[in-house]
Amino acid sequence: MFIESPRVTRLIDAFRRLPGVGRRSAERMALHLLSAPEDIAYELSDALREARASIRWCSVCSHLTETDPCPICADERRDHGLICVVEQPFAVIAIEKGGSYKGVYHVLHGVLSPLDGIGPSELKLDRLFRRLEDGAVREVVLATNTTPEGEATALFLSRQIAERGVAVSRIAHGVPMGGGLEYADEATLAQAIQGRTKL
Amino acid sequence: MLLSLHEVRGFRCLTEVRFEPAPGLNLVRGRNAQGKTSLLESILFVATSKSHRTAQERELLLHEAESFHLRTVLERRGTPVTLEANWWRGTKRFKVNGVPQQRMSDILGQLNVVLFSPEDVDIVKGGASARRRFMDMELAQVDKGYLNALQLYRQVLRQRNELLKRPKPDRDLLRAWEPQFVESGRAIMESRGRFLEELAAIATETHASIGGGEALQVRYEPDVKQADQLQETLDKYLESDLRRQQTTRGPHRDDIGLFIAERPARDYGSQGQQKTAALAMRLAVVELVRQRTGEYPVLMLDEVLAELDADRCQRLFLAIPEAVQCIATTTQLEGAPAGYAGDFASFLIEGGRLERR
Ligand SMILES: [Zn+2]
Repeated sequence: MFIESPRVTRLIDAFRRLPGVGRRSAERMALHLLSAPEDIAYELSDALREARASIRWCSVCSHLTETDPCPICADERRDHGLICVVEQPFAVIAIEKGGSYKGVYHVLHGVLSPLDGIGPSELKLDRLFRRLEDGAVREVVLATNTTPEGEATALFLSRQIAERGVAVSRIAHGVPMGGGLEYADEATLAQAIQGRTKL
Repeated sequence: MLLSLHEVRGFRCLTEVRFEPAPGLNLVRGRNAQGKTSLLESILFVATSKSHRTAQERELLLHEAESFHLRTVLERRGTPVTLEANWWRGTKRFKVNGVPQQRMSDILGQLNVVLFSPEDVDIVKGGASARRRFMDMELAQVDKGYLNALQLYRQVLRQRNELLKRPKPDRDLLRAWEPQFVESGRAIMESRGRFLEELAAIATETHASIGGGEALQVRYEPDVKQADQLQETLDKYLESDLRRQQTTRGPHRDDIGLFIAERPARDYGSQGQQKTAALAMRLAVVELVRQRTGEYPVLMLDEVLAELDADRCQRLFLAIPEAVQCIATTTQLEGAPAGYAGDFASFLIEGGRLERR
């Protein structure tokens, strides 16, 4: 390490827990924040603290939101009979940018992965199933990633949802194989949802 | 395929090496533990992202170092290609012509190499896992779809086995992994079947020409007889899977049947004869790669020459087509290999340093 300090080490470790950040970038970011004018560092910590404190999971769809229910769930003009299930909030943002999807969402915040100890209860799937109880939902579109875990999750959900008498579809494979949804461009995603196949 | 330059920094005992092999035969000479095998291992690593000697990549580092760097220039169908492999504190990065690569399947197949090493006698003598390793490594180089299927299969198998370890695995959860298991398993079995069918014919001939004596027969022995029976097998063995807490049947239990004079090769003959059969298998891959890609791979022979008498050595060199670039290690410090009369380039490795001789 460049500076022997437990506080600096703590900061680097915090950066390393972020997605896509390796040791080298973590050290570089920490060093930057410590050597730049104080304002820059404090602006980051204030912004982070305030954003984190004001954002929670929507009690309906689990998307990240400042208000509950989230603006999408609260929007009367959207089609509440159509739910798109995604792994991460990032996918909601990507699909929304496409602008052509008019239904609502359900964010799992993960996928089934026995190796990581993630099963139906960790994904709080009962929250999704509860939304299907009153008969208002016509169709669920499964837009989990095309990773092995994303596919297994889609398959598990498709059977569970079909048992509840709701139509299920899977997004078309316009999304690159093995890729996360966040890497697909918005046009591809819009096509993928439009070209979904009934399961 | 021609390897024209291979540079190594900090790989095992190789501090800094610049290796410029010639077309045809290259002899890498040196006493034991001077770095001959490490040089071949580093070429294998840049080609396949794996070592044949260890799964612990830290062992590939020079003492107390944190990184190693490999840079290789080759000619594929007359076009130069530069490959780089950098290992730094547990992460490895690969570049092709300076462009970083994310997928293993884009790295494999750039530089086709076939390595025969002393451990290869395990292909004949060892358990089924040694033969699966042989298939997987050679197939991944010539069949891009194979590696993708194999990676998917392995991941799905690990996930399913993890579920089976739970006290009462949920049937619906287990079923959620099955279509991917079946689909990737079928792709693997079809690739292996084709590969071994092609290989079998070549291996029998090669074995005869390098003096193996009685006929070598090679055949695919899949654990599940037909690729379209995978789902059926999963259903049939579900109770057994639950009891054993692992997936009992599938391509992860496949084997290659090797027979000499119609007897299992592992029970037949001396260590030397088994080694000849293993060598025939690797040499057969050389020809198979040419049939599939239109170009011979680079052949690397580790510690083979010393064990052969003049007659066998001569037969071996006759069996290797002239167009094949071959890199062979030897402890013989002077002169040509016994029974070899052709041209060759000669290098000496001493204490991790290499020079042209
Ligand atoms: Zn919501």
